[in-house]
Amino acid sequence: MRSNGKPPSLAASLDEKQVRLSRTRTWGGLETQASYGPNDANERDYKRDLGDPGEFPYTRGAYPQMYRSRMWTLRNIVGYGAPEDTRDGIEKTLAAGGTGVNVVVDTLTQQALDPDHPAFGAEAGLEGCSLPTARDIDRLLDGVDLTKVDVAWHWTIMAYQMVAAVAVKRGTPLDKLQGSHMPDHLQETMCGWGTDLLPAQLSQRATVDCVEYCVRNSPRWTLGLPQGYDLREAGLSPVGEIAIGMAVVKGVLRDLEKRGLDIDQVAPSIAWVSTADVDFFEEIAKFRALRRMWARTMRDGFGAQDPRSMRLRIACHTSGRSLVYGQPLNNLSRVAVQSLAALLGGVQSVEACTYDEPICVPTQEARELATRTQQILANEIGAARTADPLGGSYYVEALTDKVEAEAAKLMAEIEEIGLLAAIDAGRIAQLMDDYNLSFRREMDSGERIVIGANAFAPPEEPPPRRFTFDPAATQAHVRRFKELKAGRDGDLVKRKVRDVYATAKAGNNCSQAAIDAFVADATLGEVWGAFRMAMGRPYDGYRVIEAPFDFEAVSV
Amino acid sequence: MGKARIIRCVLGMLGTDVHTKGIRTLAQLLRDEGVEVVYLGEHNTVPGMASAVIQEDADIVGLSFSTAAYLHYVRAFRDELISRGAGDVPVMVGGMIHPDDRAPLAEMGIEGIFGPGSTVPEIMAFMSRAADAYRNAGAVNS
Repeated sequence: MRSNGKPPSLAASLDEKQVRLSRTRTWGGLETQASYGPNDANERDYKRDLGDPGEFPYTRGAYPQMYRSRMWTLRNIVGYGAPEDTRDGIEKTLAAGGTGVNVVVDTLTQQALDPDHPAFGAEAGLEGCSLPTARDIDRLLDGVDLTKVDVAWHWTIMAYQMVAAVAVKRGTPLDKLQGSHMPDHLQETMCGWGTDLLPAQLSQRATVDCVEYCVRNSPRWTLGLPQGYDLREAGLSPVGEIAIGMAVVKGVLRDLEKRGLDIDQVAPSIAWVSTADVDFFEEIAKFRALRRMWARTMRDGFGAQDPRSMRLRIACHTSGRSLVYGQPLNNLSRVAVQSLAALLGGVQSVEACTYDEPICVPTQEARELATRTQQILANEIGAARTADPLGGSYYVEALTDKVEAEAAKLMAEIEEIGLLAAIDAGRIAQLMDDYNLSFRREMDSGERIVIGANAFAPPEEPPPRRFTFDPAATQAHVRRFKELKAGRDGDLVKRKVRDVYATAKAGNNCSQAAIDAFVADATLGEVWGAFRMAMGRPYDGYRVIEAPFDFEAVSV
Repeated sequence: MGKARIIRCVLGMLGTDVHTKGIRTLAQLLRDEGVEVVYLGEHNTVPGMASAVIQEDADIVGLSFSTAAYLHYVRAFRDELISRGAGDVPVMVGGMIHPDDRAPLAEMGIEGIFGPGSTVPEIMAFMSRAADAYRNAGAVNS
């Protein structure tokens, strides 16, 4: 407390500056001890509970040699404007040393709204690449071999079906298709889309249809499921990520069993999409606990025989919500530690957030630094040298057990209600609200300290640099989209879109019909709208536009 | 009488933005402060949001944005309110607002701009002031 405007004494200043431990709980809220020792290991059996790296239950890593046999994929997210803009960004990223391409699509494409949507068209290309037709994906990946280059799509609705349509048009066999996307629609329902825009039942059906088609037709295509990253960002702890994520996966696998798919046909195609937040040890414990829980669930719960089903691959994107707007260069430190946690936790790919994530779409400089952070970890720090370097640490093993036990408890609570029912009843939203509210209250009380936010906040700073790009290409792209709609074979499109509707309405998997419709130049909005209507929902989730034609009419 | 009246605040998001974490948390924090929050949530269109503000007889509106389209949406929303004779309802915005956009927002009549690092007392102080001014102006006019 400073009063009457007098500067504080030096002694008082020093006292204020003293660093005290603000918190003994983990970032996710688990209580910890001052130290751990051999007595904190509750009857751990090495072979049963840990196993060598590459051995069941894969606590210590998915592969025996880990990064010696295969380095993690250094990924950067790229996506803005028209396909031509994003293409330019991808080329720059690869030139800077990235080894994988991750494409993020704009908010309209994410929600399967076309860029001519009357209410939201202004958002086209702003936060990602606008890809409303298969032709646009073809432009983005012109000259890229879809069987060789590993493109990861940060995109759920119809992403695979649209890429598959490009493959069909190019004469590329679907069973050779390489890449990945994130077919977890339920996560979208839980993370801000809500049950009106994306009802849980509709989400579940869309995911199960997509996963079924992918594993039957494109076994080399990787399915990012669950999309644990967004769950965490929306307000879950590491414990919550495992609990809800496992509930999502188990629900999908059970439905696929009913469609006659064996667990060993499905599980090897799955990779868990995760995050690394700022609590170094808690995140490492999470990755280890997750692999163990996954392995046991697949073997004991679903009867998996194939080790590839039990050995979980994890894709990690470092946490965006943990990054701070004030003094943003501090985010370089945060991202370095988060990326290190991901590597010591044994993930298969890392996307390091850019330090300017809280400010804008990443600038080119920030993207380059994010790649450099990973290169420093790979080449200088020794993060990749030896598998599971913290295995056997009294603390990390105890925390791994704790995260797993708490996750199992929460998962059981959710499954007791049923995940879809829990979502409909607002239980997951409540879980997230509680987490976010207590996070905020702890920040207000000073129990949780975030540098640059509620402590050591920088005085007035110059405005941070901001990513800008010329909207001309986006505008031309939207004009081109309208021209395509006006000039395509309208009768063919109608027939194909009606097929999507009729197939889905009959309770069948409409993925093939969707691919055929995209080949015929149907738009993302039209195909998804047809599926929505078949599921008894309005064509446009926002109820702004009506279906462009009658889906019930008999095809000719 | 005016001072004792509880602030009635409509909170919501425009467009396709799904980043509801901030505004959901703020809704609860404002309720804790005694504000009567009408939470419209995400995914509102400009006309839909304007109708709600008028129907709910709001003293103030709070819009949250985590995507880059906010200048477009705030302008369209202000124009919509004005065209429906509700242009004097104070509007505050929060979320990922870049400092470069403060001036254009101020030109649209947006005085309350909050973002990362804003505290509840700051937001409350602004809301009390803006809501009072709005009500008093309304009292003079009626």
